[in-house]
This record gives sequence, structure tokens and C-alpha cells, in this order.
Amino acid sequence: MNPHIYRVVVRSQISTGRLLALAGLSGVAILLAFVARAADDPVEVATRSMGTFGTNIFAPFIALALGSAALGNLVEDRTLVYVWLRPVPRHSVATAAFAAVISVVGPIVVAVMTLAAAITGVGDLLVATATATALAVFAYSGIFLALGLRFKRSLLVGLGYIAIWELLLSRLGDWFARLSVRSYPMSILSDATDVSMRLADRSTLASYVVPLAVGFAGLVYTSWRLSRTEID
Amino acid sequence: MSTQASPPPMVQAAGVSKWFGDLVAVSDVSFSIGAGVTALLGPNGAGKSTLLRMMCGLARPSNGTVTVLGKNPRTDVAVLGRIGMAPQQESLLDYLSGREFVELAAQLHQVGNPVEAARQAIQTVELDPDDTRRLSTYSKGMRQRIKLAQAIVHDPLVIALDEPLTGLDPRQRREMIQLFHRLGDEGKCVIVSSHVLDEVERFGSRVLVIAQGRLAAEGDFREIRNLMDDRPLRISIRTDQPRVLATALLESGAISGCRLEGTDCVVVDTTEPAAFRRAVAPMARDRDASLLELRPLDDDLESVFRYLVGQ
Repeated sequence: MNPHIYRVVVRSQISTGRLLALAGLSGVAILLAFVARAADDPVEVATRSMGTFGTNIFAPFIALALGSAALGNLVEDRTLVYVWLRPVPRHSVATAAFAAVISVVGPIVVAVMTLAAAITGVGDLLVATATATALAVFAYSGIFLALGLRFKRSLLVGLGYIAIWELLLSRLGDWFARLSVRSYPMSILSDATDVSMRLADRSTLASYVVPLAVGFAGLVYTSWRLSRTEID
Repeated sequence: MSTQASPPPMVQAAGVSKWFGDLVAVSDVSFSIGAGVTALLGPNGAGKSTLLRMMCGLARPSNGTVTVLGKNPRTDVAVLGRIGMAPQQESLLDYLSGREFVELAAQLHQVGNPVEAARQAIQTVELDPDDTRRLSTYSKGMRQRIKLAQAIVHDPLVIALDEPLTGLDPRQRREMIQLFHRLGDEGKCVIVSSHVLDEVERFGSRVLVIAQGRLAAEGDFREIRNLMDDRPLRISIRTDQPRVLATALLESGAISGCRLEGTDCVVVDTTEPAAFRRAVAPMARDRDASLLELRPLDDDLESVFRYLVGQ
């Protein structure tokens, strides 16, 4: 990983709009946690809240906003040349960008969701929420980093992916559900509290391995794409 | 007696073509470039930027090969350490300051002391290395110069500059041209693209003329200039006696043909523009004809390039 590229990508990701989006979604997470705490069955409501909001909305949308921009913005404003035209191996550029996305998105999403889990008062959810959101962030960051490099309107493509693939097609049956990233971290939450949720029936091993594999696959594709792409 | 071998070319293109779908941007171009300043001259859209991008490995030739220092810049990442490039686009990493931007280039090129190297490069292009403003606040001229600074910060052997004088004032242009020559004299291969004939004339260098994606001419600028000056010209003359003046010019051999247009205009063709320029005023004076306007009809750069392509 190249530390200089890492720093530049981190700096490029900090914008007022993104910080506001982060703050807004964090506020919703905390609000949902208080609602769950006050519910008749806090374990079930909290598990569903952490799963539905944390792994289905918070993690993918923040990973989309930052992941697609990490290299995508450089492509769109034609400044990738200032990174590409250096004697730096392409996998090192991709790894630095991936690390930048993870290190910005990860701590915020995981910290907010873990705090939310703590607020619900459901002890079993604490570690499970931290783990599930961390894995979701890893997988979605890999996907959206690659999308940012592959597509010109990567934000729209990413929104389409979340809406159509993750939220709609995954409901069509078990085979589709297996191809949905969110089903794996949700399974970790479900395992922790024994609360049954739709899609959350992946094996324990798959729940950990698949999100990691998806994140790495995104990273590998990004490296490959960087070495093949023509720079404007 | 020993024979001294000429140094190997630093940049070499062999039968290079590049097409984007149906659009042929570069067509079967071959050349070799060594140390010194070489101008890539051609109208907008001629394929200069595409050629430069292929030289820097940013684009892959559809056909043929481009080598820089004997290596393929597209696949050999190490050779990129010997190349510096200032692309044509104005966009920069606007959230960085000028110094951070140039330091980043130095760091990625693993320059020993990136801070000092960046400071020197920024001073070389006559910007303030202590300026902490973000690049988003830079004027067009400053952006051009900071692009140049990041291209030279690692002391590259091959420097490709795409329209680097755009947006600079005359004094800055003069300074930059001097800098290009200084770099060329140091043994570096400096390739500068431009669509401005007079600008290239001031480089006083070897020229590759690119037109419609083809190499239209190459050689010393003076030879190219002569070739351009020798081309046939079509000139519109507005006068109160077009018929009389046209007859006199035809008889003198200063023009090869003419066509009357309206009552006060004659369009003439000449293959000897210099002789025509010398003859037209005395002839008009001797015949009491008033010269109201002399207007070249095809003196724009595009027509110059069209002519060269046809040669």
C-alpha cells in the first residue's frame, strides 16, 4: 500500500455533504436504538433495527458515497493521471484507496452502530453488531471502490445495485439471497440473539468468509482495472 | 579512425495507430526523438494529445509500438519514473496546496528529499513555494506552471508537455521556453505539443507536424517553415480596377490564375507568395489602381496543415 496515495484519498473523501450525511444517518441509528430499548421485546426490535438499518442502509450507503468517490472522482475530474503516471504498482494504488475508504467508513459506522447496540441494552448484540457492520463495510467498500473505477456515474450505478440487487432481487429466493451481501452480516446478528430474520440464514462460516471474499474480490478487480484502463 | 555511434532514441514510435471505435485518432505514425526540445505541432484534434498519452503509457496503441528509453511505458511501471508529463486538462487535485501537489509527485517518485525537490521545482516555474493556498484558487497560468513543476520535480529524462504555454502571459511564455531549452540542453528529451505556429517557431527546434492523425512533416523548424511559405496561396484583392490589376499580375507571372468577383474584387492564386507581395503594390501604383484590401483566403493553420498533409 502506498501511504502517500492513502493520505490523498482520505483527504479527498472529506466533504461537508458527506459529513452531514454521516451525521444524519448516525442520528437515525441512535434514535432507532432508543426506540428499541423502549420496545416490549427489545431483543427482537434491536436485532431487526441493527440488521435493517446498520447492515442494509448505513453501511452500504456510506460505503457507496465514499467508496465510489475514492478513485471514481479522480476518473471523473481527469486527475487520475497524477497518481497513475508514477512508478507505483497498480495494486498498491488500489490497496491504498481501499484502505482509505475502510479507514474512514469503518470506524464511523462501526462505532455508531456499536454505540447504538449498547443503547438498546441488549448485551448479546454488542460484539455481533460491531462484527457484522465491520464485515458489511469491508464488502461494500470493495464493491463500490471497483464500481467507482468501472462506471462513469458510479453513484447512480451503486444506488441501482443497492435498490435492485440487495433490496429487491435478494427477496426472490434463496439462490438470489446468497448473492446478497447483506444476508451474511444479518446472519451474524441473528445468530447472536436467536432472532429470526428474512435472509439471515447463512452458515456461521459463510457469514464471516463471504463478506471478506467480496471485499477482496473488489480490491483485486480494482487493481486489474487500474492496470488495464486508459487514462484520460 | 573510430566511428561514434549516434545515441539511441529516447522515444520511439513505430507504425503507431490509435482508434476509438470508428474514429482514427492516430494513423501509422513513426518517429524517433532524442535529447533536446521537440515540438509536436498540429491543429486541435490532430492527434497530438493521443500521441503524448501513448508515449507516457496512459493509452495503449491500437497498432504499432511506442517505447521510451527502450521500454514499453504501458507495461513497465519502472520507466514511468523517468517520465514527467503535464497533461492538457486544467483539472488538478484541488483540495491540495500547490506545494502539497508537487510534493506528492516527488514522494510517489521516491525522490530523496521530496520537500526540497518540490520547493525547487516550484521556484523553477516561478511560483511561491510557501504559498499555502489550495489549487482551487489558482489562476489558469498558475495551474499551468504547477503542472509543469510536478512534471519536473523528479528530474525525469523524458518530459512530455501538452500545450504547456496556454494561459501564460508573454513574459511567462518566454521564461518557460527558456526553461524547455535549458532542460533540453541538459540532455533531456522535452516534447512540447502546440497548435500555435508562432509559438513553435520560438522553440526553434525539431518539429513533428501532426495533421489528421498522420505525421505530415518532420525536421528542423526552418525547413518546415519554408515548406509552409512555399505553398500556393489564394488571395482576395479589393481594388477599384480589378481587371487591370489582374491582367498586370498575370503578365508578370506573380500569379498563376485569377477570378473576378463582383465589380471591385479579384481572387488570385499564387505559388510564389513572396514575389506576389513584392509586385502587387508597385503594379497597382503604376496603373493608378487603389488597393483597398488584400486578404489571404487560406492562411489559417488548418489550411497550412492540409497542404502539408497533401505533400
